[in-house]
Amino acid sequence: MKTSILAFGLVAATALTSPAHADKLDDIIASGTLRCAVVLDFPPMGSRDENNEPIGFDVDYCNDLAKALGVTAEIVETPFPERIPALMSGRVDVGVASTSDTLERAKTVGMTVPYFAFEMAVTANEKSGIKSFEDMKGKVVGATAGTYEAIALENQVKAWGEGEFRPYQTQADVFLALSQGQLDATVSTSTVAQSNVKGGKFPGISVVDKAPFDIDYVALFTNREEYGFINYLNLFVNQQVRTGRYAELYEKWVGGEAPSLAVNGVYR
Amino acid sequence: MFNYTFHWNQALRALPQMLDGAVVTLQVAVLSMVIGVACAIALTVFRLSGSRILGGIATTWVEVARNTPALFQIYMAHFGLGNFGIHLSPYTALLVGIAFNNAGYLAENFRGALKAIPDTQARAGRSLGMTSLQAFRLIVLPQMLRVAFLPATNQMVWAILMTSLGVTVGMNTDLAGITQELNARSFRTFEFFALAAVIYYLIAKAVTLAARAFAWRMFRY
Amino acid sequence: MFNTALTWNDLAFLAQGAGMTLAVTAVAVTAGTLLGILFGVIRFQLGPYWAAPLTLLLDVFRSVPLLIQLVLGSAFQSIVKLGWGAFTTSGVVLSLYTAAFCAEIVRGGISSVPVTTRRAARSLGMTWWQDMRYIVAPLATRVSLPSWIGLTLGVMKDSALVLWLGLVELLRASQILVTRLQEPLFILLICGAIYFLLSFPVARFGGYLEKRWSPND
Repeated sequence: MKTSILAFGLVAATALTSPAHADKLDDIIASGTLRCAVVLDFPPMGSRDENNEPIGFDVDYCNDLAKALGVTAEIVETPFPERIPALMSGRVDVGVASTSDTLERAKTVGMTVPYFAFEMAVTANEKSGIKSFEDMKGKVVGATAGTYEAIALENQVKAWGEGEFRPYQTQADVFLALSQGQLDATVSTSTVAQSNVKGGKFPGISVVDKAPFDIDYVALFTNREEYGFINYLNLFVNQQVRTGRYAELYEKWVGGEAPSLAVNGVYR
Repeated sequence: MFNYTFHWNQALRALPQMLDGAVVTLQVAVLSMVIGVACAIALTVFRLSGSRILGGIATTWVEVARNTPALFQIYMAHFGLGNFGIHLSPYTALLVGIAFNNAGYLAENFRGALKAIPDTQARAGRSLGMTSLQAFRLIVLPQMLRVAFLPATNQMVWAILMTSLGVTVGMNTDLAGITQELNARSFRTFEFFALAAVIYYLIAKAVTLAARAFAWRMFRY
Repeated sequence: MFNTALTWNDLAFLAQGAGMTLAVTAVAVTAGTLLGILFGVIRFQLGPYWAAPLTLLLDVFRSVPLLIQLVLGSAFQSIVKLGWGAFTTSGVVLSLYTAAFCAEIVRGGISSVPVTTRRAARSLGMTWWQDMRYIVAPLATRVSLPSWIGLTLGVMKDSALVLWLGLVELLRASQILVTRLQEPLFILLICGAIYFLLSFPVARFGGYLEKRWSPND
């Protein structure tokens, strides 16, 4: 008698505390929309066309993901600093926002396998006379705050012990400052550098060198505990490469050989 | 209800770094006030001078400073002037932007304060053989500064709050800049910014109390 | 300077941004004023000691940079999973910010009404509510209106900061155009001119009211 009551109580308690919980993947499919956080001042990954509509690699990537899920995509413009609050508050479901998968950040959000890889390039104002990475020693350099390359560059400036490092909040401001001569040089992802230099909007700047930083792998991210969704995203990234869609998008937005997303000699 | 675990120890470990930033914040605010008061006095003199050109400059300055956002002014000081090849470092651009804003508001305060000083005093000064500049400097100005002191304290608090905008022009040594950098690295937004908010609050309170103590010692009759 | 790549389309984009600025301001000032009146009356009625917790709370909103408040507000709503969009978050934070200043103005307005006038009203048999409604409100409004206009303009200018949360308001719209067209000075000047045109006439009107209504002038 007593035990049965206890058992009943336990069952009831479990039923109450853990109701059948639809996870994020279910929620997205049920709601019919996939909301992606995309940074729109980061060409060619995300930018705006002449009608001020969002375009770019990340925008297409989000659309592909939505198609795979059988839902419609909604692009939510998020400045770099707002990516995480947007995710945490449930304003977006996934970040397709060129986010470097650092261990520091993985303490807070869940990262997928890399969906893109950046090499770093040095872009310099021609008046500065900078011809190589080493030439930046003692000059005023800058990058987008908090990015992989900004952290590496700031450490480099500290190691050199001379010169000045300035972080700007958007990639656009970095190139504006560079073209005005406020900065002598910047390190950015080579795709961004090419896109800005080729765009011809900034006179007097050119890509001068590769930066000897490690390749910057960027990942899709979502809430840390959403394993089901992270699993799906990992498979999606894999499928994009397998089907050749990754190479196709790379050709469309960047051009040239798409960088490998695999790291030699280790699993993930 | 929510599954977010606060990592306060991570934020607290960054506290010394943030306090260093607070010093820079205070430094920018104080400098911007010193420059702002100097410019505001000049603007007040311009307005009183009767010259249409000087008066026009003063009015334009005051109205632009008061009718556009401070963020716009700072952005302009960095990227707007940059367009002319005038390159201000983030620190200087922030300082120039805030000082410009301070001067506009302070000049308006001073104008209000001037009304409290009877014309007859300046005239009495003149009839004692002072030049009009002497009368202004020795009779009007000290009283004006006294009347305008408390509103100026408010402006000082504003200046502290405005320093946080430097982060938009690449400032990374003040409190907001350091906080934002820590946030961008770790994505621990709430913890770092909450700590920053506490520090800003304490600075603002300390400045207000110090100003009150100063006013009490200086201006009691 | 005038051979610009700026199209009518882009000007419309700027106008949209200005619309967003005005919308955020309208929400913040409406909600902030209602809350501010409530807080102001409470503070006045309770007196300095009992209202101390409220005073302290409001003081925090006036002593912490708005940028920090916005980021914190956004992070907070994200932690408790309110799911607010950028507009709602900005509106709520700006409203509280406005309310903190408005409460101060309201309290000042109420205390400017002479005690004797209010006693006279009460001795005519008016209730507290009638006294507030027919005596205090009209007199206090007169005193407070110029500062309230100043506050409204202040909030409009401060609302530029909501760009941090991703809202495309006037300043952000200008930055987007600067990114695309690379004419920083020209576009920023237009942006500044729009702010000025929105703010200056109202500021002048406030100054006029202040002059007209100030006692013994």
